[in-house]
Amino acid sequence: MPASSRKTNNRPADASNDRNHGRVHLHSIVEHKDALPAISVQNVSVDLGGVHVLEDLTFAIPQGDVVAILGPNGSGKTTLLKAMLGLIPFHGEIRIFGKHLHAVRELIAYVPQRFDFDREFPITVGEYMDLARHRHTPPDRIASRLAEVGLPATLLDQRLGSLSGGQMQRVLIAQALLNNPLVLFLDEPAANIDISGEATFTGILKDLSKRQDVTVVMVTHDISMVTGLVDHVLCLDGRMLCFGRTNQVLTEKKINEVFRGDSAGRSH
Amino acid sequence: MPVIFEMLSYPFMQRAFASGLVLAALLAALGIFVTIRKMSFFSDGIAHSSLAGIAIAVISGLAPLPVALTWALIVALIIWRLERSTRLPSDTLIGVFFTASMALGVVLMSLSRGYQPELLSYLFGSILSIQTRDLLTIAVIAALVMIWLILSFRQLTYLSLSEDNAAVSGINVPVQTAALYVALSLATVLGVKILGIVLVSALIVIPPAAGRAMTGSFRGYVVAALVLAEIMMVAGLTVSYLYDLPSGATIVLIGTALFFLAAGGRWLRTVLTA
Repeated sequence: MPASSRKTNNRPADASNDRNHGRVHLHSIVEHKDALPAISVQNVSVDLGGVHVLEDLTFAIPQGDVVAILGPNGSGKTTLLKAMLGLIPFHGEIRIFGKHLHAVRELIAYVPQRFDFDREFPITVGEYMDLARHRHTPPDRIASRLAEVGLPATLLDQRLGSLSGGQMQRVLIAQALLNNPLVLFLDEPAANIDISGEATFTGILKDLSKRQDVTVVMVTHDISMVTGLVDHVLCLDGRMLCFGRTNQVLTEKKINEVFRGDSAGRSH
Repeated sequence: MPVIFEMLSYPFMQRAFASGLVLAALLAALGIFVTIRKMSFFSDGIAHSSLAGIAIAVISGLAPLPVALTWALIVALIIWRLERSTRLPSDTLIGVFFTASMALGVVLMSLSRGYQPELLSYLFGSILSIQTRDLLTIAVIAALVMIWLILSFRQLTYLSLSEDNAAVSGINVPVQTAALYVALSLATVLGVKILGIVLVSALIVIPPAAGRAMTGSFRGYVVAALVLAEIMMVAGLTVSYLYDLPSGATIVLIGTALFFLAAGGRWLRTVLTA
């Protein structure tokens, strides 16, 4: 049966079961996470407004890897990320540690490409970060997450709108880490970071992956971010053009094929 | 001072203060989310839509407040549903329902002959004519909305600032959005009784707008908006009593003065610290 004709399958039958035993499952997932792929995507297609945006994608992402989803503008990178996050409907099946997304929400975190908010809005960094969890988080725990991304605790009482683009990006990552996620999704994480900040940022992601065993999935069209950081790449242009280990898959020829002369994708 | 005691000795003034203080706090608290989500047109639209509910009540001899509340609730849920199913911008949907509902109200009112005091009181508000029955309706609905608001405050704040992140964190965004629409439509119609269809948005928009000029933290913002709403209500009612002015319009003008004071204070702080 072709994926496009398949019934939308983003709420499988065992989802409610998963939710009912959420705490037990989360504990068991954390214990046995190495036995399963962090994310498995099977025959996933996405139609938005009657347009085929993604067609029949199948791949699996190992636990603890950094994975880059590459492709030119309009290739469906963000759409795939949003499907994996359960933010848009899709055909096919997406599992996180073998479970439906609704059962493992506490294990995932997301840093959006743009955080569109009124910069004059009165909210401090500490107050905004605290919203990410259902219960109040002590300021010292928030401060320690800020320290992990290289930001001082003095930032806690600073107005969120006063941050630079790079500081904001790091705050959003620190916020995402408050729940100790096992999978971190990032959409164009380097978009607001200057060249000098990119090395720090790459270091943060490496640390998360290698020392804390967090699976990092990021959408990017910045090839320079991929080198030396990313374990696997997924090349996308509506359909899957490549998937595999970076050093095996990401050849000059493949880059040219994926970006078709799009200079934005070559380097930054 | 004696004149203040005299004012508070009248039962109609006691009811006006009681209902005004409760609704000022409720509308300002909801107004915080209205301003974050840039949906002040929604409350304006709901207020105007309630005219059809009031007209239905007037021509059928029913109590206007419950019918207007029910009507506004239906309109709010239809807008929410259509937003999700048609992907039309909410201001377009609100514009359609606001004008259609208002037009229906005008047509229905034209079918009812003679002078319509109820219509005028809902157009411009009549806080001094609040009856004990109205006060009870306001108290019960305001208490229910306030309890929901307190329980959902963190979730509402997060989803208003970052809907995708809120959804990923497990917040049921469609349900919370529908609940916000319902709460806002109920509170707006209760506010219509006080300030009228034309002016009720002032209680939703002005206190949060003035409050954000006074603080850099969210906690401070919430406190400032609530305190300013109560000052607006108490000062507005008192001044309107002392100088025999229309109470709804006086409340709005006092609120506007507070807004300019807060904005001026912010400008002064910026100049002094520059």
